[in-house]
Amino acid sequence: MMLFRNLHLKKWFGDKNKFERIWLLGKIEFKLRYYENTLGLLWALIKPLTTILMYYIAFNVVIKQGIPSFISYLFIGLIVWNFFIESTSGTIQILRTKKFLYEYNNLYKIDIYVSTLVANSLGFLFNFIMFLLYFIFLEKHRIGFSQVNFLFYLNLIPLFLILFTVTLGISMVLSSLYVFAKDINQIWAVLSGFMFFLSPIVFKLEDYQKRLPSMSEINPMAGIIINFRNTLMYNKPPDMKLLFIDGAYAVIFLIIGLILLDRLGNKAAEKL
Amino acid sequence: MEQQNNIAIRAVNVSKTFSFSEDEHNTIKSRLFNFFKPVKKKRLQAVKPLSLEIHKGECVGLIGRNGSGKSTLIKMLCGLYPVDKGTIEMNGTTMLMNLGLGMSHELTARENIYISGSILGLTIKQVDDLFDKIVDFAELREFVNTKIKFFSSGMMARLAFSIAVNAGAEIMFLDEVFAVGDIKFKKNAVTVLENSWLSGRTVILVSHTMDIIQKYCKRTIYLKNGELIFFGDTEKAIELYTSDNL
Repeated sequence: MMLFRNLHLKKWFGDKNKFERIWLLGKIEFKLRYYENTLGLLWALIKPLTTILMYYIAFNVVIKQGIPSFISYLFIGLIVWNFFIESTSGTIQILRTKKFLYEYNNLYKIDIYVSTLVANSLGFLFNFIMFLLYFIFLEKHRIGFSQVNFLFYLNLIPLFLILFTVTLGISMVLSSLYVFAKDINQIWAVLSGFMFFLSPIVFKLEDYQKRLPSMSEINPMAGIIINFRNTLMYNKPPDMKLLFIDGAYAVIFLIIGLILLDRLGNKAAEKL
Repeated sequence: MEQQNNIAIRAVNVSKTFSFSEDEHNTIKSRLFNFFKPVKKKRLQAVKPLSLEIHKGECVGLIGRNGSGKSTLIKMLCGLYPVDKGTIEMNGTTMLMNLGLGMSHELTARENIYISGSILGLTIKQVDDLFDKIVDFAELREFVNTKIKFFSSGMMARLAFSIAVNAGAEIMFLDEVFAVGDIKFKKNAVTVLENSWLSGRTVILVSHTMDIIQKYCKRTIYLKNGELIFFGDTEKAIELYTSDNL
């Protein structure tokens, strides 16, 4: 634990109030995100719907890929991706925007990250319910709803946990680097752009895997999206190999994130 | 062992140097033509190596001119700034109070109270119980659901002070909290210093108001250009400070 002495991880694990505090901060963050503008939570509905429409026109009307149930296919890919990209891009400057939390009261920095991701998880949950409603009421005739085995949905728990941890790790990496290099904002915009098009979000999975072999293993988001679709759409168990690889990514990113936050993040108060 | 438990803060040989880049290009032209020229770095030793011990339940004053390193020192002591060298040992939760900062301006008074209380180690239930006391002490009953960005600086200071006092941390750094606020607030704040509220808590009081330091602090730290000139009897510290700045 000496490795993370600035983060006080040992004390954090022993703190009984941490869940309560994270939930409090998360709820307030959620409110800030969705209730600060006129349309409020409606944006959580409008945004995915408009992006779905956009990609539907591009990749199903203009470029005919012929993916069955393309809207559901896109829906899942986009809500998973949006959680990832909104959390990582949104937290790059978190050590600056949330300075008030750690500067005057010595809050554990890790609370700030987890609570922000909890707020985003609530947004994800909202989008997920929208997907289920769409899927059950408008798509069931194609899939044969009676055949959907809801026990498979239990696999969503480890899948979301992996998604959450990968996102948390990358958020900590990016925001710690931001303390010393403000360029990280632009770099991440470019890098995540690549990640988007190197994931099977808008592409047919067979084409993607044929033309970009082993990309599903290299890009952590690819495997996560594939497994979300297996579970939600195709009534299949997750691809165990990808699940394992993504789990490993989650652990690695989390460790790198913690190290960087420990080493660079403690300079945040004076540098930002 | 007894003595060990009596220490709130122990700093051994701590110092702090800041390095920052100088931006000497005043025009776009000079910026373009000097693209690859390395930026000039400036170093400033804000606090020179010093050691000190502050006991539990003590009210310690901290004086010195502007830029003498007072704020840097308290930020080091409360763990916000990593030190260059040396060690800082602290026993207890801390809170740094500086003219109503430490709160989010985008949040309401209610949310700020809950967040600060929770960070200071209280459970939500405990904040529930303290809530009315905090609001009434700050005299902000009508504005609990108002975002504090709409508050006046006096209101903000009252809120922060009320949170600090009622939900308080064991070690409190009060950085010029008496500078804002009207007569009534100052009276309240002074009453707090005198009353049982702060008893048992360790207070480090930064102020330019010598009366307050004189009245409430037995011992005082005098900093000059980042150097610890004196730490001990308040009368002596103030005497040194005033004779230095005649």
